[in-house]
Amino acid sequence: MSVATTPIDKMQLASPNPRSLWQNALRYIFRQRSAIVGMIILGILILIALLAPVLATHDPIKTLIGVEDVKKREPPCIHILGCPADKPQHFFGTDGNIRDLYSRVLYGARLSLIVGIFSVAFAIVIGAFFGAIAGYLGGWTDNVIMRVMDVLLAFPSLILAIAIVTVLGPGLSNTLFAIGIVSIPGYARITRASVLSIKELDYVTADRALGVPAMRILFYHILPNALTPLVVQATLGIAGAILSAAALSFLGLGAQPPTPEWGAMIGQERNQVFTAPHLIFFPGVALILTVLGFNLLGDGLRDALDPRFNR
Amino acid sequence: MFKSIRRSWLNGLAVVGLLLAACAPAAPTTGSQAPATATTASASTEVTTTETTTTTAAAPTGEFKPMSLAAESCDYGGEFKSIEAVDALTVKMTLCFPDPAFPSKVAFSSNGINDADYLEKTGGGGDLIEHPNGTGPYMLSEWKRGDELVLKRFDGYWGEKAKTENLIFRWSAESAQRLVELQAGTVDSIDNPGPDDFATIEGDANLQLKTRLSQNVLYMGWNRSYAPFDNEKVRQAFAMAIDKDRLVKNFYPPGSSVATQFMPPSLFGFTKEVDWYKYDPEQAKKLLTEAGVLPGFQTTLAYRDVVRGYFPNPGTIAQDIQAQLAAIGVDAKIEVMESGAFLDAAAQGQLKGLFLLGWGADYPDATNFLDVHFGPGASKSFGPGFEDIWEQLKGGATHATAEERYPFYVKANELIKEHAPMIPIAHGGNAIAYKADVEGAYASAVGAEQFALMNPGGRDTFIFMQNAEPISIYCADETDGETLRACEQVMQSLLSFAPGTGEVSPALATEWSANADLTEWTFKLRDGVKFHNGATFDANDVVTSYVAQWDAKSPLHKGRAGDFTYFTSLFTAFLNAPPAKQ
Repeated sequence: MSVATTPIDKMQLASPNPRSLWQNALRYIFRQRSAIVGMIILGILILIALLAPVLATHDPIKTLIGVEDVKKREPPCIHILGCPADKPQHFFGTDGNIRDLYSRVLYGARLSLIVGIFSVAFAIVIGAFFGAIAGYLGGWTDNVIMRVMDVLLAFPSLILAIAIVTVLGPGLSNTLFAIGIVSIPGYARITRASVLSIKELDYVTADRALGVPAMRILFYHILPNALTPLVVQATLGIAGAILSAAALSFLGLGAQPPTPEWGAMIGQERNQVFTAPHLIFFPGVALILTVLGFNLLGDGLRDALDPRFNR
Repeated sequence: MFKSIRRSWLNGLAVVGLLLAACAPAAPTTGSQAPATATTASASTEVTTTETTTTTAAAPTGEFKPMSLAAESCDYGGEFKSIEAVDALTVKMTLCFPDPAFPSKVAFSSNGINDADYLEKTGGGGDLIEHPNGTGPYMLSEWKRGDELVLKRFDGYWGEKAKTENLIFRWSAESAQRLVELQAGTVDSIDNPGPDDFATIEGDANLQLKTRLSQNVLYMGWNRSYAPFDNEKVRQAFAMAIDKDRLVKNFYPPGSSVATQFMPPSLFGFTKEVDWYKYDPEQAKKLLTEAGVLPGFQTTLAYRDVVRGYFPNPGTIAQDIQAQLAAIGVDAKIEVMESGAFLDAAAQGQLKGLFLLGWGADYPDATNFLDVHFGPGASKSFGPGFEDIWEQLKGGATHATAEERYPFYVKANELIKEHAPMIPIAHGGNAIAYKADVEGAYASAVGAEQFALMNPGGRDTFIFMQNAEPISIYCADETDGETLRACEQVMQSLLSFAPGTGEVSPALATEWSANADLTEWTFKLRDGVKFHNGATFDANDVVTSYVAQWDAKSPLHKGRAGDFTYFTSLFTAFLNAPPAKQ
């Protein structure tokens, strides 16, 4: 009798293709129901934004006076749900200027996503750059940069955004810029904190000992490893940016008429909340779902990427 | 300079005080008369260095010293030549030119009469702004700034006493909130319900809706100092480009009408002979292309997001006009401005693009619309005026009878159409809503409801909710409608507008008459009228109240901001006005 033995070097001690942090995170995210819901919502939203011209039944900025026999602020009329066939079909009804609300809400998705993603991207680029410099160089550079960020943080973000838009003039691009500016300190702080801890690691010391230039160490070796918390913050930040943009538009400082922006749509019809609630309801629900989607995904990402969470 | 005036004024006051003490009148009602006489002295010492002469006539009875102020000549450009107290209960006003609309102007809220003594005490500003002392059926109880204005019944009122013990003014800019408050029963009446809420209110058995005559106009203006609006052909082309029927049909409440001219149809000065350009977008596009404006014309469309009778849905109407302009190829960017900044920018001629603004009647006459906007004293909102229009307006304003005046207004309205300094768009129907149990509820055509006449189902407090908080309760120096309405409850003018009809009727003056050419107006004052502080009303109060507005050098010519805008728009110019700033 002999016992077959396997040489120890042939035993599988580790997986042949070790999963990276991101692969791990993705696996974990797919195990989380709330994150999946978030991703589904966002997936649908992105599809809607991309396919808005196909899905929309009307031109979102064209009034239907003289085109169809509809009145302003008509409630939804859907033929398969019993609306008389001789009445023109409007899934979400018509707004105060006799435009199709459904088409406007669809196109609104584009604007909200654009504002959310671009303003956060702007804030990340600037915030991460300054945060990384501050964290890596330390000393007076760190002091100056972070005190400027502290000043920005001292203002309530929406109030500061209102002030910026008031100076620059209302409009979507200025809104985007204002929200970007007020978001910068958050990203700068996070990046600085990560850089501060990473720069003490041995591989960075080794880099230094080998004479790698400082900027190369910072942007090629440190920053990529400091991205994790930034990604989480960005996902949650997009939700906040979309809300801020809607708030500015509600106040008349963001998207200008006739642009179909959700906040502006709600703001314009706020006095019809009792006579025509659908005009507040549909853009409001769209806004809620979008923000919910980003928040769920953001929470999922945070749980997945944060090593402190036990799995 | 200021110091010397003030010293001479105080000296005058002291001298007259001593004189009065020496005379020692026996009558007990000297409370208001003594200080009123002192005002005479102040006015006389104050203006002797200028082109005016002021006299203190010998008192016929030894106790009432009638005051007067006269301009040396009419060269200063204003309407008044003199204002004089003939006796304690008679005031004579002499004008530089005939004015058939004079009684309407006298009845307007900005000409409320103050106690001369109180005016002196407050120096024409200060306490006067928030602590009025009028003769109206209500007097101030408490003003919680930002919250509510509480008025209480004035038991010494000369006429029928107010039906409720208290009258409270509250405000909210949101029409939905106003309606909710009315439905919930927390207020008895709301102003300007949203156009879409008219049906809701009419369908509610607990509420009643009273519509106002649409004595207003919304217009789309431009300033002809700026290209391309300096070209008359361009202005005429734009005048054809707006489908006003569509705007009124879709965005205005019942009772509104399309504007065929600047004057609303219910007022004198409306001329049915004149009709606006027909809506013709193709022709407009053609003319604009010929003028080189199209293609590619970009401009702004400015307005203030404030609901007014003429502008029930600011955002919606502006967006529809934007869409209509887009249809002929004009790219108009909407610019919502803060109310005060917008009005200032318009008045100073700073708006370079299109703007939406309107006007509501202060008194029912053509002069209140046409002279204010197209007369020589008009603001710079449309740029330089048109002399041929001025000529017609002058003719219309200085003839006595309606038959004589009418042809001038036909011509004036035709010239306005030809020069097209703006497009008149709509006359907006608007309304005031009450609880169903409010007896005597009505809607004033000029928006000046008298709440003293209303009985809210026997409750002792009437609560009214309007669009905004009054700015002050010294309306000589205010133009805001929400403010004027509060003044109406507390202050009274010599004449008033009858509830509902808007006809000029007696108030502090029981009768009034004019000479044949309408340049001398005599007002017989009501006897036994008391101010809220107990002072007795007499002719010197009238003279002092008018002089405070008229004479720019009077120490009482102070007010809140010192503009007295309505005085110049009603009576053309101040006496002793400082030279215009460069």
